[in-house]
Amino acid sequence: MEELKKNILSIFNDLEIYIRKDNRMFINTKKETVLSLLSYFKNSGYDHLGLISCNDWIDDSKFELVYILSAYMANDEEFQEKEKRIIIIKTRIPREKAKFITVIDIFENAEPYERELHEMFGIKFEGHPRLTPLFLELKYETPPFRKDFDTEKYVENKFGKIPTIKERKNNQKNERT
Amino acid sequence: MRELELYFGPQHLGMVGNFSIKLKVEGDRIIKADANPGFLHRGFEKLMERRTWMQNFPLVCRINVVEPDHMELVYSMGVEKLAGIEVPERGKYIRSICCELARVGSHLFGLWAYSNMLGFDTVAQWAMYHRDLILDLFEELTGARVYHIYIRPGGVRRDFPDGFKEKVIETLHKIGGKVPDYNATFFENSLFKKRAEGIGKLSREEAKSMGAVGHVLKATGMKYDIRKIEPYAVYDQVDFNIPTREGGDAYSRLLTIRDEMIESVHMIFKLIDKMPDKGKVYTKTPNPFKWNIPEGEVYVRCESSRGELGLYMVSDGGDKPYRAHFNTPSYNHGLTVLEKVLVGESVSDVGNIMISLYVVAPEIDR
Amino acid sequence: MDRNQIGKWLKNPGKMANKYSFHVVYFCTGCGIIEIPPSITTRWDAERFGIIPVATPRQANLFLITGYVSTKTLKAIIRTYEQMPEPKYTVAFGSCPINGGMYYDSYNTIKSLDKYIPVDGYIAGCMPRPEAIFIGVTHLWKLIDMDKADGYKRYREDYEFYRENQEQLFGELDWPPLFKNKSS
Repeated sequence: MEELKKNILSIFNDLEIYIRKDNRMFINTKKETVLSLLSYFKNSGYDHLGLISCNDWIDDSKFELVYILSAYMANDEEFQEKEKRIIIIKTRIPREKAKFITVIDIFENAEPYERELHEMFGIKFEGHPRLTPLFLELKYETPPFRKDFDTEKYVENKFGKIPTIKERKNNQKNERT
Repeated sequence: MRELELYFGPQHLGMVGNFSIKLKVEGDRIIKADANPGFLHRGFEKLMERRTWMQNFPLVCRINVVEPDHMELVYSMGVEKLAGIEVPERGKYIRSICCELARVGSHLFGLWAYSNMLGFDTVAQWAMYHRDLILDLFEELTGARVYHIYIRPGGVRRDFPDGFKEKVIETLHKIGGKVPDYNATFFENSLFKKRAEGIGKLSREEAKSMGAVGHVLKATGMKYDIRKIEPYAVYDQVDFNIPTREGGDAYSRLLTIRDEMIESVHMIFKLIDKMPDKGKVYTKTPNPFKWNIPEGEVYVRCESSRGELGLYMVSDGGDKPYRAHFNTPSYNHGLTVLEKVLVGESVSDVGNIMISLYVVAPEIDR
Repeated sequence: MDRNQIGKWLKNPGKMANKYSFHVVYFCTGCGIIEIPPSITTRWDAERFGIIPVATPRQANLFLITGYVSTKTLKAIIRTYEQMPEPKYTVAFGSCPINGGMYYDSYNTIKSLDKYIPVDGYIAGCMPRPEAIFIGVTHLWKLIDMDKADGYKRYREDYEFYRENQEQLFGELDWPPLFKNKSS
């Protein structure tokens, strides 16, 4: 993994790379270099996009996008060192009116991940062909996975205030008499 | 010809699970397919942030209904990596035996769904009966048929009862002795070959660019299996093969599944021989109400019966997880691969393709 | 058949024939779907109780709601329930339809199903075993004998209250009301 680190640092600057003992490489980068970094990794053999996730650091008022890459097998019969490694790329974007560029041109299977992040966190991805709701049915004021969405209060307000059928009947009788 | 919009909705006889597809059809051919998930969404990742590390462990197994052991395994591996706990040797062997039994049971469930849909009722009844024998073994070991709650952070919950090893060997001989009948009735039947060959074809380049894993990729000829690439539990001390086929259509996928089941049964016999006779099965963890785990983030993965399953977990030094995100194999198979593969096929083959990809609906929605 | 049965058959043959031949709608609503295939196949045979799955709700008699209900599924359940012909019965599995169960603080699950469609009985277990499902069905037979399984009659009489509850949850509904308003 040291060779890979040297190659990356010679091409890109303003990155921070940290290699952990169990074959994991963490890269912290600015948001403008993410696309070129992803295409560099795809051309050098890491062609499996595992996950696109997001952390909500509400104290710093930033979102942190996480891209996780690994390698499919180059040779069908034997297992090489390359397939054990996992590369985790992280950037930070501001929390108010969050938006970012889509990576569908590089990895084709990023489409449902970005659709889910738009629905659950409220991040807009420019260039995405369809940003329609995927899982949710009702409309929410704050997107549900943010840290300032209180689920217990929401459940009390929405579901707890609907009365049972007996209560509605009694209310109607009391109103009439 | 005019276009027609059909809802292959949640209440349908050809659908296993609560999932729906919106189809645009011209005559009998499909032009466009839109997957419509979300009927089983509970917001797991938000629920996990409000419960402590040990309270999450009975909750995690309900993500995949058919085969919950691998979910518990991946969560326990994540917590052990963050906290720095080691699992004793006998506990690792018991974990591997549990996971291989769950794999056989889950493949038999898929065989019930597929052969019932094609019309081979006899094979469906046999497959469900053999899966019930495996669930009887789990009931004796853990106390429940479906949701086991057995693989915990630190090891497993309790040791084998007396006489359990002999029962496992007897049940597996019963199931293995029926394999020639399965072959003669279903897998070598010429009707099955005509009905499943050439349906839902994927080439290897297309499968790689769409993010396919598991048996969908093994049916195109690549031996991609996490048990060999990054061995967890005791998979590096047992030798086994990985079956592959060329072809990439529904016929090769079903044959790959049959070969995988036979390989798992042989592996359980080898593991039972090699297991150490005595030893502890779990390491003690601190008081669950006051257990704080140091800061860090981790990404672990394992091989479930549908493909590569991963978990990304972040801890900020407290007693609850800060963020947990599951990466399930049915997410890619049900949303990206299904929409591409259905274009150009006939309407009567939709159930055939969907069940041969082994899409399980609660894994997509979480 | 013993003497009690002959009397019951002669008094009300329609009710007895209805009871002993439940047709179940094939709709896998939640977790509990994992214990329905073992009940239908040969080891725990459900056909000796007269239970058989059918394809459409127009031919069905009994609706099994297997586990928790999310908001998107509730719309499909209401539409399926309104298509079934009378007399019809509903049975719910587990503790999630009663008060939310282990998802009590989730933003997307329904906490109490009885406010939206009438439920006749609940079966305990997470998930209930096939034997528990059969005991639940025999209890339903007793309730039908005593004329207490009247969920469909309650739906017909109190339809305006059920509809108000459904509209308070979803907003505008895009299907018209099933029964005409009686109070106006």
